[in-house]
Amino acid sequence: MTSTGWFFVEAAARLLARDEREAVLGDLVERNENVWQGLLGVLGLAFRQGAVPWKSWRPWLAGFGVALPSSFLLMGFSLSVSWSYLTIRCPELLQKSSLTLGSGSLVLLCQALLLIGWSWTGGFVVGSLSRRTLWASTLLCCSPCLFCLSRFRLESLSRFCLLLFLVPAIWGVHQGLRISTMKVSWAITVAITITALMLPDWSSGAHHWWAPPRWTLNWALCWPAWYLVATARRAGSKAGLRGGGLWSGQREQQTGMS
Amino acid sequence: MLGEFEYLLITAAAGLGDDAYGAAIREEIEATAGRKCSIGALYTTIDRLETKGLLRTWMGDATPQRGGRAKRMVRVTPKGVLAAKAFYDAVTRVSRGASWVADRTGGAS
Repeated sequence: MTSTGWFFVEAAARLLARDEREAVLGDLVERNENVWQGLLGVLGLAFRQGAVPWKSWRPWLAGFGVALPSSFLLMGFSLSVSWSYLTIRCPELLQKSSLTLGSGSLVLLCQALLLIGWSWTGGFVVGSLSRRTLWASTLLCCSPCLFCLSRFRLESLSRFCLLLFLVPAIWGVHQGLRISTMKVSWAITVAITITALMLPDWSSGAHHWWAPPRWTLNWALCWPAWYLVATARRAGSKAGLRGGGLWSGQREQQTGMS
Repeated sequence: MLGEFEYLLITAAAGLGDDAYGAAIREEIEATAGRKCSIGALYTTIDRLETKGLLRTWMGDATPQRGGRAKRMVRVTPKGVLAAKAFYDAVTRVSRGASWVADRTGGAS
């Protein structure tokens, strides 16, 4: 194998884990394979390893069930929260909306809590379901964000208002990566709180004949919270009585379980 | 139940004993089964079998003929031996009465 060719094979081998790279490059040298065979072998291995997680339903659910639709819906809700904030800051808008400062602040607080809850639970589910395919979920979340940012035209609000949901979502992803499941009681508390905060919207109908009622969209954002309850209950029943603490998955994490 | 390639790999690794590592297993499979064995197929199958607890791997010593790179040594676990035996028994049972088995028996007698 020529040194130039070997350079390409070594570069491709950077896609592999350190120990695996060492073993594979050693095998290629020992068998005296040519550049083409070596390159194909290394790229084939990297492709196969990348494809392995996609045999499971989890990364599909994380990407196409949570990251992609939730980013669209949460951008809309981020805008709604920003608009509520603007309303209570501007007396003219407050008067037009027939809200008092107190009731407007309460609406803003509920919306902000709901945004944090939806984003955090969605992020947690994405993080826990797609550890090895997080890049794909990130891509599926960022694509609609970039699309909407490029088309955002509202003088009274900054375009970055669309991205308010990202902070709690990233926090949720981080937590989901660190730990596998929440403790049942905490998962139930979070899910019930989010559902309770959604109640005021249940009575509101569609603004247009073609638009679905808002509560159906809210449920699309709420299901990750109840999914966390289901996984926490399943993990709890598998593990039996486990020690206290906020996160039931911490022990699994400590023992190296992904 | 093991797959065909998984069985080949476990059998080759068991036959090589203490000398079982990536390149040696590849050579063994290609020589005995008469089929090409890609690095991708080999290492993803090793990873899968190790996850199932049928193989154990560790990094061995670096050698000059490998450009100073270490080998990934492979050993079949007792669970792997049982799985390979189950596969072999199943193939033997299902092959009883097959025409090619009968032909071979008939040819020999």
